[in-house]
Amino acid sequence: MDYILSVVTLAAINMIAVLGLSIFTGFTGLFSFGHAAFVGVGAYASAILTYYYYVPFFVALVAGAFAAAAVSLIIGVPTLRAKLRSDYFAIAILGFGEAFRVILENLEITNGARGLPGIDSFTTLPIVLVALAFSVWITRNFLKSRYGVACIAIREDPVAAEMSGVGLFRTRLLSLVLSAFLCGLSGGLMAHFLSFIQPVMFTLVQSTQLLAAVIAGGMGSITGPLFASFLFIVLPEALRVANMWRLVAYGLMLVLIMIYRPQGIMGYQELPDLFRRKISRSGTK
Amino acid sequence: MFLQTLVTGLSIGGIYALMAVGYSLVFSVLGFSNFAHGAVIMLGAYLGLALAVKLHLGIGLVLVGSIVGSGILAVMNERLAYSVLRRRKAPSLYLMISAMGCSVFLENLVYATIGSRFYAFPEFFSRQVVQFAGSSLSLLDLAAFIVAFLAILALHVFVTRTKTGIAIRAGVCDMTMCSLMGVNVDRLIMVVFLLAGAFAGVAGVFLGVKYLVYPTMGWVTNKAYIAAVIGGLGSLPGALVGGLILGVVETFVSTYVSSVMRDVFSFTLLIALLVWMPNGLFGSDTEEKV
Amino acid sequence: MAHLLEMENLTKDFGGIRAVDSLTCCVDEGSITGIIGPNGAGKTTVFNLITGVYRPTTGAILLEGASIVGDRPDVIVGKGVTRTFQNIRLFNRQTCLENVMTPLLQRTPCSLFSALLRTPHARRVDRTVRAKAMSLLVAMGIESYADAKASTLPYGLQRKLEIARALAAEPKLLLLDEPAAGMNPEETRSLADLIARVHADFNVTILLIEHHMDLVMNICSPVIVMNFGALLAEGRPDDVRADERVIGAYLGRKKRDGNKAAAPEGAEGEDRHAGARR
Repeated sequence: MDYILSVVTLAAINMIAVLGLSIFTGFTGLFSFGHAAFVGVGAYASAILTYYYYVPFFVALVAGAFAAAAVSLIIGVPTLRAKLRSDYFAIAILGFGEAFRVILENLEITNGARGLPGIDSFTTLPIVLVALAFSVWITRNFLKSRYGVACIAIREDPVAAEMSGVGLFRTRLLSLVLSAFLCGLSGGLMAHFLSFIQPVMFTLVQSTQLLAAVIAGGMGSITGPLFASFLFIVLPEALRVANMWRLVAYGLMLVLIMIYRPQGIMGYQELPDLFRRKISRSGTK
Repeated sequence: MFLQTLVTGLSIGGIYALMAVGYSLVFSVLGFSNFAHGAVIMLGAYLGLALAVKLHLGIGLVLVGSIVGSGILAVMNERLAYSVLRRRKAPSLYLMISAMGCSVFLENLVYATIGSRFYAFPEFFSRQVVQFAGSSLSLLDLAAFIVAFLAILALHVFVTRTKTGIAIRAGVCDMTMCSLMGVNVDRLIMVVFLLAGAFAGVAGVFLGVKYLVYPTMGWVTNKAYIAAVIGGLGSLPGALVGGLILGVVETFVSTYVSSVMRDVFSFTLLIALLVWMPNGLFGSDTEEKV
Repeated sequence: MAHLLEMENLTKDFGGIRAVDSLTCCVDEGSITGIIGPNGAGKTTVFNLITGVYRPTTGAILLEGASIVGDRPDVIVGKGVTRTFQNIRLFNRQTCLENVMTPLLQRTPCSLFSALLRTPHARRVDRTVRAKAMSLLVAMGIESYADAKASTLPYGLQRKLEIARALAAEPKLLLLDEPAAGMNPEETRSLADLIARVHADFNVTILLIEHHMDLVMNICSPVIVMNFGALLAEGRPDDVRADERVIGAYLGRKKRDGNKAAAPEGAEGEDRHAGARR
């Protein structure tokens, strides 16, 4: 029972990060192979605050999320300009993730490659669920507002978006910052759940898993990636699949999805929409 | 000391250039980032290792074997993961994701099957050093630099003098028009990937000989992408120059500042360059037709 | 009438090609000005220069007397210039209502804080914008498609949607790039009425690129003629139609037996160019 609870908690923590990436990739249309670094910033920042400075948990959590948001500016400001080539950004954030790992491994306060053990386990399932619900709520609000609509416009057609008054740079940057915030929140929760964090937990491997969940779940959807990320954590646990084979599967899945169903499970729609359509279809009969 | 650092930097830069060229070549022709390139380099290293250790072949044959093997691997990669998307005229981002998927797949397949052990090549180059203007250069580094230089020169000749090479350059400009002119586009793309794979094979072997062979060599091969971006995506001279610059800068940072912060520095160089020259050194600034 | 838009010696080079060559002309406030000319004459490039997509190589563009060269496209939209595109650019996966709401939302202030927490202010903004967008759809006659995805609309209605979206930004100057492309004569007539109505109801100056001569000659005045990137002629429709240079370069002339002579890029009432392009 404890085991199941812990798997579900971990899945829920992961869902917050996937939600974050979903804003950036699924709704703004920018692909990132480096969002695990933002999870890492949140994890380390909040862990350092509670471990060394005895900062209250919730404060540390929020601080970690804001730290991740701030760090995202480092990569965002130079690379998200108007004449963006998505390949340049992808490579830049790839390099960013790498550089972040190296920095983590070489700072005193992060205890280097050995990692930070002994973090207080403040995170419980109810807390994570509240955080998840909150994240989903503000994401939905964001997407309905002028800011989210601007992101979606950029995804659909950047040129037409500009002609509708959308500022490309500031919108992309906001999207990145918000997505980093949620990833940082996820990281903080994770650090205080696993009680131990290491640089190697926040690399390209994890970034790819986040991206795989967003793509498999479907771009332009909130419920899709949430569902996919839940599946990605729970299924391998249930099937007792070793870590590296999971990654083999993720890799293969990305290729197959691109070829056979690029819109993923729930591309551009939400779970409730499916039910609505079923009801209306049976109604018109 | 300065000259020694420069020379060492140029030799590793040569390897980076080899890695970057294959990636930039595919980008220039097909317009997407083939992130599986790193995995092909890694597999090229393993292939070379197998040839050297199991069949006891010399460095020359190992290189040839790796070139052929990696070339075939790259073509298979294209056929399985990209050709369907290409024919469907899928956006380049889809191809990039597919490439990343391939990379993760291959890297972890090796990890799961062959294992994470680090392997070393047999001693191909004796520990001799060549004295060069007061600094010493290991035979390996010299060989790497020479091979890199010759290979890229050969590519340049191929691309400018041969029929296929010219067709490739035409394809860079407009693939559709190319096919309308009677070029067999599928065959052309196959040639492009063969070339990219060949370069990957050579780079992989040299990387393996210089350092070690292990599944996550991808972390080093990311330098290929950074070098290509520095030089300007899609530009072959850019890939060469980008690789050399990256190698030299890294070695200088390693020697004079800190060897540990080397990768952080590479990344900072990349960002700084993108801020000032958004298209890299030799990249072209194409304004989208609206 | 005051000049709403002025272009002085506007030039744009793409490498070795001079797409726009020292163009000097202006658009009067409250007019429906037409731009005609053969394909490749640089008409759409002029639109791209005005809206900030391209930067001029040299020359000036003045909106209400102030230069807009170097402004970002979204800033220019804020100053009151919007456009439609030759190849319709809608937000395909969004509904028609959402398409029109997008520019309206950008113009309506709402702090990020309010947005994220969906305060009463944010909800009010949403309601107001939704109502305004709906009224625009009604004005275009496509309100029944409000919840349909833009990509599912028939071609002619997609054009209307694009115009509705362009109007949502409350422009002073509306640029229409070949709005009648791919339309038959009846649709073209109905579009002409629509444009005239929009001009009157929304109090907006219109600059229009077209190949459909009946559309241009009926509702536009003045008409600007471009050829090889340069200004060929400008003036009232009848004057332009009778101008020898314009006839030679573009319009062609009726032969004595009633058939039209093949002009280099004839355009009388035919849309083979638009058709071929699609």
